Amino acid sequence: MFYRKTTEQIKAATRPSSVGAKAFYNNPKYRGWIYQALLLIFLLAFFFGIISNTLDNMAAQGIKSGFRFLETSVGFDVLMSLIPFDTTDTYARIFLVGFLNTVLVSLIGIFFATILGFIFGIAYFSQNWLIKKISIVYVETFRNIPVILQVLFWYSAVLATLPSAKDSLQIGDSIFLNIRGLYLPKLIDESGSSIVYISIVLAIIAVFVLRHWAKKRQALTGQQFPLLKASLGILFGLPLLALLVTGVPFHFDYPVLKGFNFTGGTNIIPELISLSIALSVYTGAFIAEAVRAGDQSVPKGQTEAARSIGLKEGRIMSLIIVPQSMRVIAPMLNSEYQSLVKNSTVATAIGYPELFTVFAGSALNQVGQAIEMMFMTLAVYFVLNMLISCIMNLFNRSVAITSR
Amino acid sequence: MSTKEFKPLPAQPAPVSTVGPVAWVRENLFSSKFNIIATILIVFALASVLPGTIDWLFISANWSGTTEAACVKDGACWVFIRAWSKQIFYGSYPSGELWRVNLCLFLLVVIIALSFILPARLRNRVAVPLFLLLPFISLVILNGRLIGLEYVSTDKWGGFSLDIMIAAASMIIAFPLSFLWALGRRSNMPFARSVSVTCIEFFRGTPILALFFMGSVMLPLFFPQGVTVDKLLRVWIILVLFMSAYMAEVFRSGFQAIPQGQYEAADSIGLGYWQKTMLIIFPQVVKISMPNILATFVMVFKNTVFLLVIAVPEMLQIVMTALSNSNWLGGHAAEGYLFVGFIFWICCFSMSMMADKIEKILDTDKRD
Amino acid sequence: MSENVNSDQDNASSVISINQLNKWYGDFHVLKDINLQVAKGERIVICGPSGSGKSTLIRCINRLEEFQRGSLIVDGVEMIEDVKNIEAIRREVGMVFQHFNLFPHLSILDNLTLGPIWVQKKPKAEAEATAMRYLERVKIPDQANKFPGQLSGGQQQRVAIARSLCINPKIMLFDEPTSALDPEMIKEVLDVMVELAEEGMTMLCVTHEMGFAKKVADRVIFMDAGEIVEQNTPKEFFDNPQVDRTQKFLEQILAH
Ligand SMILES: Nc1ncnc2c1ncn2[C@@H]1O[C@H](COP(=O)(O)OP(=O)(O)O)[C@@H](O)[C@H]1O
Ligand SMILES: [Mg+2]
Repeated sequence: MFYRKTTEQIKAATRPSSVGAKAFYNNPKYRGWIYQALLLIFLLAFFFGIISNTLDNMAAQGIKSGFRFLETSVGFDVLMSLIPFDTTDTYARIFLVGFLNTVLVSLIGIFFATILGFIFGIAYFSQNWLIKKISIVYVETFRNIPVILQVLFWYSAVLATLPSAKDSLQIGDSIFLNIRGLYLPKLIDESGSSIVYISIVLAIIAVFVLRHWAKKRQALTGQQFPLLKASLGILFGLPLLALLVTGVPFHFDYPVLKGFNFTGGTNIIPELISLSIALSVYTGAFIAEAVRAGDQSVPKGQTEAARSIGLKEGRIMSLIIVPQSMRVIAPMLNSEYQSLVKNSTVATAIGYPELFTVFAGSALNQVGQAIEMMFMTLAVYFVLNMLISCIMNLFNRSVAITSR
Repeated sequence: MSTKEFKPLPAQPAPVSTVGPVAWVRENLFSSKFNIIATILIVFALASVLPGTIDWLFISANWSGTTEAACVKDGACWVFIRAWSKQIFYGSYPSGELWRVNLCLFLLVVIIALSFILPARLRNRVAVPLFLLLPFISLVILNGRLIGLEYVSTDKWGGFSLDIMIAAASMIIAFPLSFLWALGRRSNMPFARSVSVTCIEFFRGTPILALFFMGSVMLPLFFPQGVTVDKLLRVWIILVLFMSAYMAEVFRSGFQAIPQGQYEAADSIGLGYWQKTMLIIFPQVVKISMPNILATFVMVFKNTVFLLVIAVPEMLQIVMTALSNSNWLGGHAAEGYLFVGFIFWICCFSMSMMADKIEKILDTDKRD
Repeated sequence: MSENVNSDQDNASSVISINQLNKWYGDFHVLKDINLQVAKGERIVICGPSGSGKSTLIRCINRLEEFQRGSLIVDGVEMIEDVKNIEAIRREVGMVFQHFNLFPHLSILDNLTLGPIWVQKKPKAEAEATAMRYLERVKIPDQANKFPGQLSGGQQQRVAIARSLCINPKIMLFDEPTSALDPEMIKEVLDVMVELAEEGMTMLCVTHEMGFAKKVADRVIFMDAGEIVEQNTPKEFFDNPQVDRTQKFLEQILAH
């Protein structure tokens, strides 16, 4: 691009003026400016028209402008909220409620979509014919059906046919699934529980320290360290030890059937379940495809060369295949994660109160200030997408060492 | 000098343990401990799920009849689909005028076929203009007022035919627009470039549902007072812009795949910017972008279902209405959604396959 | 039938011993009754028309391909379905590929130290010292910190040779190491290989570089249709081929 620009400029500067290029509008440099000026005039006229129309229309329909509405109270309730909320709370707070619900379902979706995607993506290369076929069927089925249809299917064709609370499906005495959703035991802290939380943080730090130490030792002495096993040991062992020492400072609050419904425990509403399933399964299919493409992008010769210098299969995976395929997979993951966040808006079809449904939907209906509210909503999606991009770029840099 | 004659050893059959069905089964199903367990588990799972599913879908399904009362067996009630099939495909378009919808779909198929059959020169002169005219011809035919047919307002258009037509119409208009954006994005005019980038990134970064919402609640504010623009037309504008943003990125990567030599060769025979772009670069870009163009189309086609949230009666919206119809309250959500899913799956899957095939052909082209 | 000129060595003294080896790709019989004994320090050149099974044969030696019948013993270790055996054999055998197969995401130095660090468990400094020694031997120590994509084909292939040497193999396999190279780069790679041969490395080399064969080979093997048609000393092989198929092949290859 740069190169082309400079040659163009040089041409413009050195062209002999006698070749009929006298008219200044034939000079590519000026010509570019003329085009751009025309574009600018067009855009100015366009936006001027839009803005004046909008102001007229808003005045005619009595729509207010500005962000004062954020401080007024909402007057309706939401199905689910991660923070305390009632009908007297403000629009600013319902914005936050919606935002948190969007983040929640995005995180759940990204987590399970990644797991599904990698499992089915790797399954494509299985020696087992059945596993391979299942991987293909999964990808080809779920990526070719609109995600909104999948949400509706899970919501009204599957979860809506679940039994009532009295006849719940149950696992043991503590997990129940019925038409009102999934009921799980809730973890309640007792005194001393902070020690356990601290031990988890310590374990994570310890793993990083250990990794650093093991790398250094290997560089110095050549000795290898069973890092994976040791890390797992620490990650589980240390919190377990803390649990035992503090005498298990937790208890569960179990869901109990009282009359027609359950009390206690945590309830995961069917809207959240179906949305999470649909988003994970749909995006998982695309991620599986990306993983497949990433693996196929590493030539067979790479594995053969690695074998010929005596590397073990596990090491070939971690040292040769993964870093190379990640260079293909990471950018695709990035865009799939972004799509997932955008697709979480299909919640509107079933009424899960994420940002779009609750703010650009219900709240906008009441307030009517479409421009401000749409602007706020879209800003969130742009910020979330930017955040994903940043994180994925960091990840890309740390995993897939770039080369030329 | 005595030479021996070389007689190749006869090829022996491979040991039975390595070829034939038994070896295939051993190698592909039972090659390791893990695979043995996996195979057994999968077969077990399939055996416990498949018979019931097949029974529900086909064997004890209800196929004939016209009312819910006809669904007596405990399998799927396909009667539901059958009873609503006209609406599912045509929305509430008047029964006597359905030929107009069919004619539009037929024209679409004919023009697609033409662009494959015609030789390259005619393709550019005939098929491309026809393509660009098709959305407007269809509008006239479907609306009917201009040509003296019965007037059918856009709120009566609907069903699967609407999904197809609005996706196709958006694609056709998005094609030139997105090419312009892609050119803008790679041009060396700073202002034009930033305008293109802004457009592309805005429409790619916004959820399609939000765009549809804006089309239904914000767009009316932008028009002068007293002017009302038809909802379907607004939706069309939104879809065109959305698709253009994605296609612009497709074209951009297409541009990047064109070797620098092509530009230099075009410059060297003295072509101007637009001649160079339209005669040399554009055809090549379209060709190598074909798989991605198809993929974008599949995406937009799937997204037409999202129209249901702003109450445009496309296929899924109609099924949902049917599900809440007082004559069909027996819970046919599974049948309805499976049917819609199946239709979309057929269309999208075959287009994905086509994209894969084109990609393979292009790959082999590249090799020689 | 196959001609065993040098078959008087017994199996015990050979570092590679292949007996009645047969391999099929599905129904296709690629290698038919291959018998081959390679003594320590012996340099063997394998030639033959494309598709005759040369690559397949040498790839069997470090188990990049499996075979169905017969036996293969490398440096006293029998090639069987056993991870320990396969690993032991791969540690003794280095291989150089037609298309180099360098790891594009690692620098030249990292390409070379990968084996010593992860297979031989050497400290990093020692591995790097070894790597630099071999880079000097293939005459490109100054490229250590570049990436494979930045090197010419000849340089890449020399790096690939150095990479295999870094694991200190007893046997080196070459599969058409120069056929993906431009003519002026072939020499720089062949020079390295000649030097290696002169140091007494056991080498099996699939190549059509007849000059190289005449210069360094102890034995030339001609393969066709999955069998060893003829083997002999280079002098005998080129001056006095015994089998009509060999003559025809040599005529074609030496025609211009
Ligand atoms: N993975 C494979 N699957 C099936 N056939 C193969 C495979 N690899 C090689 N072949 C066939 O085996 C024969 C020998 O191949 P190869 O050993 O590569 O020959 P060359 O002597 O040219 O190196 C060829 O006919 C080739 O087509
Ligand atoms: Mg070969």
